[in-house]
Amino acid sequence: MAFLHRLSKASSVAGARLIRRLSNVPENTVYGGPKPQTSNQRTTLNQLRQKYKKGEPITVVTAYDYPSAVHLDTAGIDICLVGDSASMVVHGHDTTLPISLDEMLVHCRAVARGATRPLLVGDLPFGTYETSTSQAVDTAVRVLKEGGMDAIKLEGGSPSRITAAKAIVEAGIAVIGHVGLTPQAISVLGGFRPQGRNVASAVKVVETAMALQEVGCFSVVLECVPAPVAAAATSALQIPTIGIGAGPFCSGQKMIVTSLRPPIGLMNEFVSCHRREKLRFMQYQVLVYHDLLGMLQHPHHAKVTPKFCKQYAQVGDVINKALLEYKEEVTNGTFPGPSHTPYKMNPKDENAFTKELQKMGLDAAASAATEAAAELEKTNTQQ
Amino acid sequence: MAFLTKLSKTSSLTRACLSRCMSHVPENTVYSGPTPQTHDQRVTLNQLKQKYKKGEPITVVTAYDYPSAVHLDIAGIDICLVGDSASMVVHGHDTTLPISLEEMLVHCRAVARGAKRPLLVGDLPFGTYETSTSQAVDTAVKVLKEGAMDAIKLEGGSPARITAAKAIVEAGIAVIGHVGLTPQAISVLGGFRPQGKNVSSAIKVVETAMALQEVGCFSVVLECVPAPVAAAATSALQIPTIGIGAGPFCSGQVLVYHDLLGMLQHPHHAKVTPKFCKQYARVGDVINKALSEYKEEVSNGSFPGPSHSPYKMNGSDVDGFYKELEKMGLNKAASAATAAAEKMSTAQGPVAEKSQK
Repeated sequence: MAFLHRLSKASSVAGARLIRRLSNVPENTVYGGPKPQTSNQRTTLNQLRQKYKKGEPITVVTAYDYPSAVHLDTAGIDICLVGDSASMVVHGHDTTLPISLDEMLVHCRAVARGATRPLLVGDLPFGTYETSTSQAVDTAVRVLKEGGMDAIKLEGGSPSRITAAKAIVEAGIAVIGHVGLTPQAISVLGGFRPQGRNVASAVKVVETAMALQEVGCFSVVLECVPAPVAAAATSALQIPTIGIGAGPFCSGQKMIVTSLRPPIGLMNEFVSCHRREKLRFMQYQVLVYHDLLGMLQHPHHAKVTPKFCKQYAQVGDVINKALLEYKEEVTNGTFPGPSHTPYKMNPKDENAFTKELQKMGLDAAASAATEAAAELEKTNTQQ
Repeated sequence: MAFLTKLSKTSSLTRACLSRCMSHVPENTVYSGPTPQTHDQRVTLNQLKQKYKKGEPITVVTAYDYPSAVHLDIAGIDICLVGDSASMVVHGHDTTLPISLEEMLVHCRAVARGAKRPLLVGDLPFGTYETSTSQAVDTAVKVLKEGAMDAIKLEGGSPARITAAKAIVEAGIAVIGHVGLTPQAISVLGGFRPQGKNVSSAIKVVETAMALQEVGCFSVVLECVPAPVAAAATSALQIPTIGIGAGPFCSGQVLVYHDLLGMLQHPHHAKVTPKFCKQYARVGDVINKALSEYKEEVSNGSFPGPSHSPYKMNGSDVDGFYKELEKMGLNKAASAATAAAEKMSTAQGPVAEKSQK
């Protein structure tokens, strides 16, 4: 009791320091991490639906680890997608195919630890849901159970994919569909090629998006299709579409003002469109974290950013500059200076230490220690 | 043959487009990554030894994935350490204990893909080398075999750890030792507390460093010890010491990537950077600003603009698409498509036609 009493009497700073030294529990460690003031602030499907109905924007960005998840949370991004694009931007492969489910789950867990507010969506990686419907359900279950996600996304619009999506929804797992360019299918597509550029392909995009809505998807990603195709799909659906490389789409009202005089037969349609809320036609956007941040942009090794992606920063340049400066300062000995050399021995211990070293026959080490202490003392007093 | 002749006659730009269209092999994909001009530029143990002999400081930074590895390579950092600090800075745990060997191997492979020049060192994570000497050798072998690393680092200076280090070196695997504050031992240490602050602890740091050298380590990391202790150890050894929070008298320095870049520094959620770490940038602020701007532009509809909406349909296809949609009874969608096409072409003008592949 006396100890606690003394503890409370000590200044709050000293008290805090004591407590910090006495334990390694999370709140006293260095990396406790930012904690939200209120819990249960997670974005819900219902909130997204309300936003869609009211025509309010929804933002989606990919994340793959704790720090990027924290950044998305801090910036107020609505949906955090743990994409299988990790295979390319984190693991350095040329396609999204090599990443395994276990690796995706590691990414999911790290993101779940960091993003407490955005809705968390995990991608089903290539090869984990195509074999059978039951395999698809198993994988989706793992992504929620072991990955800590709130929903999953899977690619494709073939009948078996749509059946799989249906089974997953029936298992109680929210699903985002993905049509257009589906990167897991580059073998069949012959590369990262935009889709929907001819009539048959364009119609297929719209049809498959509608089929996915039919089986219960709450949203559909449209990737790398021409803007009119994305516009048609967005218009045909009653769930939000999320575009990447699929154009800007316009709101219902704007479209009416700028469009040509429609044929008489469609006049009724246009009138009803005009009355509808602006954002029933709005399409949302998703971008890959590393691309939007210019993570790997460097003049010497310019990485090719997809042409539909805008770089909102040149983080790669900032990182390069910082690393070069660190290297410079270590090489010329300015780092670490006194302000980054915080740990001290008191002089009595220093002397005893030197004597011990001499006893061990390490005379050079003993004098090195003495010189170091003296030099530090000198630079400290100089400051 | 006629096709090939025609191919050679077309402009180089068209040819490049053609070959890009026709395959998705690595050199034609978006993400092939920077490839070094010359191979075998990997930093070797011998080169490090030369640096040490000449008194040139050795730079070490941690990396955990492909992009960070590329950054270290471009900046010319000597050693790239795939640290178990990943547990904290990548996975968001409060300590380095939770990360598994499988997870570390994933990090190692990603880094190996990105860093072609620095020496690659992989940490042995908590629980994968303490049970027995054979477990230690197995783990070290996996880190090199499956993780593609060049060397390993393990923590600690107890007799069992030194025996393990010896066995690993005898297996032909280069080892970096680690004494002072060893984060995997916070249970016993009672937290992330600097070591070597009293005489016996300080002597122990020097002795264990020497023992690790004795069994064949090519370097020793000194973490969070007073500068005189680090100076003594550095002087007593004939191999380079790499310091972190150990003052300026070591043969080299190491810092954690995220700490030195201020990755998680944001005024609202200021993360505590270790006091020995200098922040050379505030990447967290840059990222926050960029994400906020992206959010703003999506919200007000300015992104994507015409320059970021590259994929086109030609006019006749748009008409055909319109008709098909009408046939399907999707009149609303049909008009949406037409209006979008209209808006895109007015926004871009004649440039639209040229950019079609």
